[in-house]
Amino acid sequence: MNLRPEQLVKVLVDEAFYYRKAFVVAFIVISLAILVFGLLWPKGYTAYSSIVVDDKKVIQPLMQGAAVTTDVADRGRLAREVIFGRKMMSHILEVGGWMKDNPSPIEQERIIQKITKQTTITNVGKDIIKVEYNDDDPQRAFKIVQKYTDLFISESLGAKSAESQAAYDFIHKETESYHDKLTKAEDQLKDFRSANLDARPGSDADIGTRLNQLQQRIEQATQELREAEVKKSSLEKQLSGEAEVTTTLSREGQFRSRIAELQSRLETLRLSYLDSYPDIIQIKHQITDLNQSIVEDRQRREAAKAAGRVIIDEGVINNPMYQQLKQELSQTRVSVEMLNARINEARRQLHSELELGKRVHGGEATLAELTRDYQVNRDIYQDLLKRRENARVSMNLDRDKQGLTIKIQEPATLPLSPSGLRFLHFVIAAPLLGVILPLGLIYARLRLDPRIRFGAVISEKLKLPLLTAVPHLWTPIEAQIIRREFQWISLAVTGTTLIFAVVIALRLMKMI
Amino acid sequence: MSKIEKALNKARTTGSLRVVSPQPLSHDKVTDDASAVSNMTALIEQRASVNEAIACMQEKSRLARPVLDQNRIIYPDLGENGAVRAFREIRTKVIQKSQGRNCVIMVTSVTAGGGSTFVALNLGVAFAFDAGKTALLLDCNFKNPSLHRLFGAGIFRGLTDYLENSDMDIAEIIHPVGIERLRIIPSGGRPEIPAEYFTSLKMKRLLDSVKQRYRERFILIDAPPMTQSADTQILAEMCDYVVLVVPYGRVTDSQVDACVKAIGDKKLLGVVFNNEPSPPTFTWQDFLNPLRALWQILFHRLKTTRAG
Repeated sequence: MNLRPEQLVKVLVDEAFYYRKAFVVAFIVISLAILVFGLLWPKGYTAYSSIVVDDKKVIQPLMQGAAVTTDVADRGRLAREVIFGRKMMSHILEVGGWMKDNPSPIEQERIIQKITKQTTITNVGKDIIKVEYNDDDPQRAFKIVQKYTDLFISESLGAKSAESQAAYDFIHKETESYHDKLTKAEDQLKDFRSANLDARPGSDADIGTRLNQLQQRIEQATQELREAEVKKSSLEKQLSGEAEVTTTLSREGQFRSRIAELQSRLETLRLSYLDSYPDIIQIKHQITDLNQSIVEDRQRREAAKAAGRVIIDEGVINNPMYQQLKQELSQTRVSVEMLNARINEARRQLHSELELGKRVHGGEATLAELTRDYQVNRDIYQDLLKRRENARVSMNLDRDKQGLTIKIQEPATLPLSPSGLRFLHFVIAAPLLGVILPLGLIYARLRLDPRIRFGAVISEKLKLPLLTAVPHLWTPIEAQIIRREFQWISLAVTGTTLIFAVVIALRLMKMI
Repeated sequence: MSKIEKALNKARTTGSLRVVSPQPLSHDKVTDDASAVSNMTALIEQRASVNEAIACMQEKSRLARPVLDQNRIIYPDLGENGAVRAFREIRTKVIQKSQGRNCVIMVTSVTAGGGSTFVALNLGVAFAFDAGKTALLLDCNFKNPSLHRLFGAGIFRGLTDYLENSDMDIAEIIHPVGIERLRIIPSGGRPEIPAEYFTSLKMKRLLDSVKQRYRERFILIDAPPMTQSADTQILAEMCDYVVLVVPYGRVTDSQVDACVKAIGDKKLLGVVFNNEPSPPTFTWQDFLNPLRALWQILFHRLKTTRAG
């Protein structure tokens, strides 16, 4: 069952009363023991100083982006390594006065171990190192911490200067190397350009355009050629079917057409008039005249034929169509020849352009590579030049101790009062522990002992009707004994207090 | 009942007891106020006559306060003493539980030395504080009887004598102790009797007769511890209620549980948590001033050496 705080206090008080003698004896023994312990406790004086160390190293801002340095995690550990180094310890031994007795190396080692044990180096915050040293002599503690600080700073600064020098040297070397590379790249580029004049940036595109134009021209000319050839064959075909001369309409034909015309007119008139109508008679006469003329013409022709004479018929003339076709054919042939010649020329040009294109393409890749090398080298070289100048400034700052990144935050002071547990602490702790420890024992016993010590257990845990809790009824003799006991107890406590007072007084008077 | 009648007759002749004719407590159906008033009057008269009868009890010379103090017996003048308050509280709870009727209460402890005698005796005294009530204490703790010490020197007949001797009268074993309205039956001269005597008819009769002798008498039995004697459980059967004494820091939960199971829930009146440590009431100034204490001690030494 968990007791409530007030119940716990009551049970503790009850039990303390029950074991009053043991309680008081324990109180006196514990408090006096702690007092004696406090008297014997060695005095220690702690001197300390804190050093601010800038977290950024020289190489880091200089090489930012270009190089990455390893991260330094525990500055205190590094400081410990520097401070506890053999070189530093030999200085400390001299400052502390341990070397006066000319100790043997083994003794020196033992002293160094002791000093190491009494020295504490801690990281206070991110960039502050606290160096503490505890010694029974305040003067020596002060001196040693001062020496620690000075040595640490001078060591660190020396290391820092060397570091910035090394950084400068490194960057300088890199700059030189990039300078060589850049010069080489420039030469290569120059050589290539003089060797390949065509290889200019963009020539590839020009060639492409020209090739396209030529291709287009060839296609166009081919098309035209095909058309011309078709035209030519068509003209030839037409020309073969056309007569060189053509006859116009003959005289007989003219007569006949005249007769037909008159006949038609006669027919029309007959529909309206009789044959006796003068127009009809006239037409009949005209027809008869025309028929006569035809017969006469035929006879004349046959007579000529029989006589073997050529009768030039005034109806035969040269065929104009034939003439025209002949002319066009001739023109077309000229055009076909011309187109053939143009196509051949274009093809030749195309071929030469292709050759040029191939050459230019290969050269351009090389040029791009060379240009790239050159540009990269140039950029890095320019960057390095800037960094080298920064490094030079940093190095000069470090050389002149202007760019201090390690400085004393709090200088060592002579410790006036002893550190750690002091006599006052023991004096305060003695009565407190004298009460708390026996009470703790009682509490532990209450926790471990299952026997009932509180009435509430019966009603709350066992759920039984608790009539009441009867306190102990003291007989007069018992009360008297208790009174006596209390007198002795209060006397003993007073005695203890007196002892405390005397010891404190003697201590204040520096007699013990 | 011949023995009881004999005892009653004897009491009548000596004048220590006036027998009151028992009035019927159970009322018939009262229809009118007049009869109710007459009944009430009868009850008051009965009560008055009981008080008178109690007042006429033969008392031994009162025990002096130092003797009471020495024997850890409470008395009203202790005032606001925690123990007095506690026993009054128990008494009130017992009366509430028994609804005012007298009853037989066995007081037993979980373990030996638990303080059952102390609780039984002081509970009896607390009952006897009331002028209208009496208490009778039976010491049934034969193995370790302690109530007889109240009588001082001399051998007193007690319970074992009565149970052994069939001719003995109850009045012979009931002894006044020097506390008003408190009577004690000591354990008797025979230290060991078989447990079967507790179940005997005689024991039963004894309890009945002492219970009925006075209606305002509460009978308390100081029984041996539960964990040490089987007789206690037999005795518990014969009682109306049982009060279990749990001493401070001496018994565990399981022991208490076992005792409660043996008694049974019906009979268990309650648990008394006894002997809580508390400093005696005295003026703290005596002890807070150690110089004075030192002076007192030195002075005492000086005086004794001079006297020597």
